[in-house]
Order: sequence, then C-alpha cells, then structure tokens
Amino acid sequence: MSVPASQMWTVATYVLKQKLRGRRRYPLVLMLEPLFRCNLACAGCGKIQYPAHVLKKHLTVEQCLAAVEECGAPMVSIPGGEPLMYPDIGRLVTELVARRKYVYLCTNAILLAEKLEAGVFQPSKYLSFSVHMDGLKPEHDEAVCREGVFDQAVEGIREALRRGFRVTTNTTLFDGASPMRMQIFFDEMMDLGVEGMMLSPGYSYSKAPDQEHFLRRQKTNELFSKMLGNAKRRWKFNQSPLFLQFLMGKHDFECTPWGNPTYNMFGWQRPCYLLQEGYAATFRELMETTRWEHYGHKSGNEQCKDCMVHCGYEPTAVNYTFSSWKGLKATVAATVTGKL
Amino acid sequence: MAVEQERSLEGWDPGVVDGPELAFVIERAFDYRGDVTLVRRDGREIVGYLFNRDVDVPEPFVQLFPRDGGETVRISYTDIASIRFTGRDTAAGNSYAAWLRSREALKASKPASGA
Repeated sequence: MSVPASQMWTVATYVLKQKLRGRRRYPLVLMLEPLFRCNLACAGCGKIQYPAHVLKKHLTVEQCLAAVEECGAPMVSIPGGEPLMYPDIGRLVTELVARRKYVYLCTNAILLAEKLEAGVFQPSKYLSFSVHMDGLKPEHDEAVCREGVFDQAVEGIREALRRGFRVTTNTTLFDGASPMRMQIFFDEMMDLGVEGMMLSPGYSYSKAPDQEHFLRRQKTNELFSKMLGNAKRRWKFNQSPLFLQFLMGKHDFECTPWGNPTYNMFGWQRPCYLLQEGYAATFRELMETTRWEHYGHKSGNEQCKDCMVHCGYEPTAVNYTFSSWKGLKATVAATVTGKL
Repeated sequence: MAVEQERSLEGWDPGVVDGPELAFVIERAFDYRGDVTLVRRDGREIVGYLFNRDVDVPEPFVQLFPRDGGETVRISYTDIASIRFTGRDTAAGNSYAAWLRSREALKASKPASGA
C-alpha cells in the first residue's frame, strides 16, 4: 500500500479519537463538489446533467471552507464536475493545505499541465492529484467518450510528477473489464511513477446514460479476485487493503453512507455521494436527521443492493481496521506483504 | 438501451394539484433534471431548477435555483398550485449510445489505414 506514513498517522489518530469520544458515526473524507461543470461527458457519470444556469454556478471558497470546518474530516476529496475548471481552485487548495487537510483533487487532467505551468499549485504532502484513469488507452478513451484523453492525462501526470507533486490515479471498473488488461494498466501506471492507484466498481447512476455496463456484486468479486489475486508487489494502492479484499469477496462489509459526506451548491447531500434523496442545510442536520437505516446492502433498499463503491465501503474498511485486533492484523499483514 | 425507452417528463403539465397528487408531482420535479415552472396559489410563477424538497418537517417545502439568477427560493407545499415541466430534460436522450453511433460513423468515414 502507498499511503504516506504521515497521512496514515493522521487518519489513525483521527479515527481513534472518534472512538474514544464514543462517536458512532463520523466522517472520514469530505466529498467537496465546488461545481458540476465538466469538460467531459462520460457515459457512466450522473453528476453533470443539469440546466445551463446550474452548471454555470459554483460554490465560493468561503462556502467550501465553512463546509470543511463544519465536517471536520481529515481528508477532503474534490471531485465535481472538473475541479480544474473551478476559477478559485488554487486558492481553495492553498487554504485546505494550510488547514492540514489531505486533499485529493480528482481530475481528468485535461487541464493539469496548463494549470501547473501557470503556477496555480505548489507541491505539498497534503496535496495529491487523483487522476481519473479507467484503464489502458482504448478503455479509458471509451469510458470518457472522447479519444485522446488518455494521452492528455498521461502528459498531465508526467508534468505533475516532474514538478514534485503527489499523483495517484482513480479507476472505475465497469462490466466487461478485462483482468489481464487491468494488470497491464497497473504496470503502466507504476512505470509512470504514480504514488498509488485507487480502484472502485462503478455505480449505476439513474441519470447516467450508460446503465448496461455496471458491475453486480458477484461479478465484482470475480473481477477483483482475478485482477488482484496475485497482485505484484510493485503495484501500490492508495486505499485500504481491506476494501480491496472486500471487493475480492474476502470480507462481508456493510455500507457506511456517512463516511464520505458530500457537500455541493445544493447543500449536504442525503444520504451519500451517489444517491440524491435530498439536501440538508447543515452537516449536523445531515447526520442527525438522515434515516441511515434505510441505506446499505442489508437495508433492502434496491438502490443499495449491488453497490460496492469506495465512498460507502472504504470507510467501513478503515473503521474495521481500528475496531478489532483482527482488522488491524489483516491491514498490517496486507500492508507489509502487499498480498491481498 | 434502457434509457432510450424511458419517457421523459419534459413538457408535462399536470394542472392544478393538491394533497397526495401534489406530493407526487413534487417528487417527479425533484427527480427531474431540467427547469420547471412552479405556479403559486396566488398565481405568481417562478422558473428554475427544483433541487430539494423536505416533507419530514412541520411545514414541508421545496427549494429552487431561479433560472434568471439570484438566491435560492424556498416555497411551502401549501403555496404550490402546480408545477409544469417546462425546461429541457438534461438527463433524457442517450448520449452514450449517441457517442457510440458517432464513433462508429467516424470510423466508417475514415479511410482504412495503409489504403
């Protein structure tokens, strides 16, 4: 695993503090969406289908920072939309780094080289560009519905690494993904020099155009087992090894929908990053008034039945690590040996 | 593709509604990815994107982003006479299939390599 020691320490102490305080529900990563605008229209994405006047809007930096303070999570993921299209992205990241938040800026990297050239960002251990890469060139360009994006992303990654930035990749896997080609992809990303990779099965957004290519649970287990069963030691993953083992079918986790709360121009999204069942005005309202028992695999909610996405299950994996000796032992073993 | 067979609510005018019918229309409007025209009981209209509703409060309400800008607007269920689905449904259609079709068309229009 490739999460830096300082980040691991921050997360570990944060989680232990929550436990000592007896907080049953606590956030781990704030999903901060400053805008919905994007320079791509990927087939699997349900985030950008809004009227033009909504797409033109964005949160102010002050609104973003207020949400970060209110939430208190040690990590902030900035998806969107495309965050590099956010006019104040440099100032937002600077402010988050100053607050010692670990920032994952999730980007398709089309604009990355340009922004780096313009000096918008400064390297920091708190900042990682999490570049969207859905596989090798043909698979990625197909997933993002535009040819040439893979090459642009690679160029952006190279430029960021050359300038001393932390770079990770985030990959969403859909039905039909080839384990063998994904293994080649892992090698390619490691050859590029990225710090680590993040994987997740896709979620079938009701608003996304492509509803046919999302993975069901058993298929997810099969795909991830084939892909990671003999994981090479050189493959580094920037996520909980127990989450990857869950995807391989080795753990029976339940969803933690409050683990990665989402804030955007509509407010605090209920109940999670993927489902939009309404918005709370404050983080406290979100936590206290959302009917959490209605969500998760075992709730019987049809929308949650097949979901195994990172935003719900990675917080479960992290919580499991710090909830039992068994969980801690499994995490340490996977981290030390690289075996999943 | 399943999405192609889904019927969009674009253009739907349910007329004046009340009670459970109003709640039903509001749910559809909340799920709709286009602007709506909300008609108040006093006849005033507002066009915008209905992004939220809450029925678990003493006075249920909806929230909209007006199309012509400005702050979000909050309106009680009791003030709503009707909602017309007047804006384009941005989630309708089939961009993935359309992209596949355009990609195939592009491939077909390109001369074979080496030719």
